[in-house]
Amino acid sequence: MFNQIKDLAGGELYLITSLLIFMVFFVIVGVYLLKLDKKHIEVMSQLPIQDNQPNVHEED
Amino acid sequence: MQLEKFTYDNKIVRNFGIATLVWGIIGMTVGLLVAMQLFQPAMNMGSQYTTFGRIRPLHTNAVIFAFVGNAIFMGVYYSLQRLLKARMFSDVLSKIHFWGWQLIILSAVITLPLGFTTSHEYAELEWPIDIAITIIWVVFGINMFGTIFKRRERHLYVAIWFYIATFVTIAVLHIVNSFELPISFMKSYYVYAGVQDALVQWWYGHNAVAFFLTTPYLGMMYYFLPKMAGRPVYSYKLSILHFWSLIFIYIWAGPHHLLYTSLPGWAQSLGVAFSIMLIAPSWGGMINGLLTLRGAWDKVREDVTLKFMVVALTAYGMATFEGPLLSLKQINGVAHFTDWIVAHVHVGALGWNGFLTFGVLYWLIPRIYRTELYSKKLAGFHFWIGTLGILFYAVPMYWAGFTQGLMWKEFTPEGLLKYPNFLATTLQIIPMHVLRSIGGALYLIGVIAMTYNLAKTMLGAKLLANEPAEAMPLSKIITETSSADKAWHRVLERKPMKFMVLSLIIILIGGMVEMMPTFTIQSNIPTIASVKPYSALELQGRDLYIREGCVNCHSQTVRPFRSETERYGEYSKAGEFVYDHPFLWGSKRTGPDLHRIGGKYSDAWHYNHLVDPTSMSPGSIMPPYPWLMEQKLDITTTASKIRAMQTLGVPYPDGYDKRANDDLKVQAEKTAFDLKQNNIQVKSDREIVAIIAYLQRLGTDIKANKESIPSNQ
Repeated sequence: MFNQIKDLAGGELYLITSLLIFMVFFVIVGVYLLKLDKKHIEVMSQLPIQDNQPNVHEED
Repeated sequence: MQLEKFTYDNKIVRNFGIATLVWGIIGMTVGLLVAMQLFQPAMNMGSQYTTFGRIRPLHTNAVIFAFVGNAIFMGVYYSLQRLLKARMFSDVLSKIHFWGWQLIILSAVITLPLGFTTSHEYAELEWPIDIAITIIWVVFGINMFGTIFKRRERHLYVAIWFYIATFVTIAVLHIVNSFELPISFMKSYYVYAGVQDALVQWWYGHNAVAFFLTTPYLGMMYYFLPKMAGRPVYSYKLSILHFWSLIFIYIWAGPHHLLYTSLPGWAQSLGVAFSIMLIAPSWGGMINGLLTLRGAWDKVREDVTLKFMVVALTAYGMATFEGPLLSLKQINGVAHFTDWIVAHVHVGALGWNGFLTFGVLYWLIPRIYRTELYSKKLAGFHFWIGTLGILFYAVPMYWAGFTQGLMWKEFTPEGLLKYPNFLATTLQIIPMHVLRSIGGALYLIGVIAMTYNLAKTMLGAKLLANEPAEAMPLSKIITETSSADKAWHRVLERKPMKFMVLSLIIILIGGMVEMMPTFTIQSNIPTIASVKPYSALELQGRDLYIREGCVNCHSQTVRPFRSETERYGEYSKAGEFVYDHPFLWGSKRTGPDLHRIGGKYSDAWHYNHLVDPTSMSPGSIMPPYPWLMEQKLDITTTASKIRAMQTLGVPYPDGYDKRANDDLKVQAEKTAFDLKQNNIQVKSDREIVAIIAYLQRLGTDIKANKESIPSNQ
């Protein structure tokens, strides 16, 4: 089943490079998500619910 | 501090909503018509303007760009204003956007049946309309970013990220896939040829699904679902992960539409690998949506809008699970070119796009009219008949796809094809096509019921055209104090232009890795010495093939399977397509592949077959093309076509544009003479002569030096 992504006839470089790009990208997004502030998330997720009320300060 | 008073523009939302309903009914009615043509050829109505090849693109364009397109703008214009606490940037731009978009659709409705088509799927519209689309898209972009800049909400909610990514990516896709060299007002040739053209087209085609049918709808889902359920999205973090991984991965997956073709093997593998990865973000989004309803399932029982949303999300989950499976080579080998793909697409279109649109319409129209829905009972009826319609559509199409895909591959114990006559496999699945039409009709009845219901709702109340709102100006609420405030993503959320550029870079990475090598490295497309440019007559014939939309039912790429080489002949090589502007590989085999049709039958066979397909293939569902016999071939375009091809690098001799028509006439006389030998009287200047010449040329070049041809790998 995995032969189709194993036998690449010289295309390994492309695949490995793209997988690396993908991994790096994913790690960056992952780190960013872990570092996100909980209060901020709370405020963001309430945006659609409270869009008929006047906006307020976000408490940092 | 002083609150600012302003109003939301509901009129533009209502207008896009009405356009969604009107084009939805038109697009789906045309869909029902083309579905019926596939089991009842008389439904082609004997006119060249209503044959399957010409109006199938009308159906796809109408439902994608007219129905879904207007629904996107309705959803964006409603949610954007409220999420940003600002009226749309410019009422004038909103109006230009609305009417411009409707005019573009109208021009498609006129030009596609007339046979003006580029032949690239979902990008069929010719170059003047492409330019109009670009202008209107920019108008939409200015209006959207203008609103973002004058917003009163500090942060951009995740729905807006999806809208921004949609705007940027569709702009890139549309521009790159519209590089055409015009030769007259409504005719152009793609700059790319063969394998490269195929790669660009399916990079576009796949990502049109991603960034027109998916990302704007995800944005709408992330806004409207929490509104409808009255609770925030299950996990905002997951929505961020969903966003970045989806836009990053989707763009790489295009080559899975070209498995087993002559596209370089590494590009195919890349497409497969990234398609499998796509399950993760897609399902992340679906789960996020469904879990938003946790603890609110009692509401789902009573609220029809939520019912539509649940089915939409489920259909999204099914389609995005199936997509990666279909990109596995083993499964693709059976499923590709069959009705399986049609089923897959319609689970997404009818379930995800359709039902989400219906849910939003039922929710939004009564709100902007400050009233209740005219009939909840009728909306309930719509939900059930629509769901039934999807089942009656999808199940028979899956059945038809498995059946035909396996029949094509079946051998007898003696090692011969069990169904050597392609038509036998087509006729086998006719009952499934009848059932599919019933499914489509049920779905359409639901849409008509909804339109009646919403029309009654609108007529019974008055539109609140300018909805009052108030909010504090942004300058007053921004306080750059905390260090956490300077975290890069939080900054990014407040800097829409930087956000757009970052999204652009991310979607460009995949596209570039995928396409650059195929365009720059010679060895990816091995040339074949015996492959020569088309003769002038064949070139004209090829353009007739494009005009009639033959590519909608016939592929031109033989895959390297024994079942295909037995049936059609030598498998297709990359070097054979180097003069094909555009490529005509197709994506569906309602009829057999035509890449090796050249020389297989006599000119007389083709003549009789085009005039009345059932005379040569009893039971054939192909419509007759008698007008090809009556219409005179327009040879005034030959010179400009040759010159355009020369500009694109096709090696016709210098000054050939002036002599081309002489050669054309000689070849046409020869074909007419050959037909005369078989008791067929036809003038050599008729269209049918050109199309026969083209068909007889197809795939014959490599027969000259079969042994020395490099393989695709």
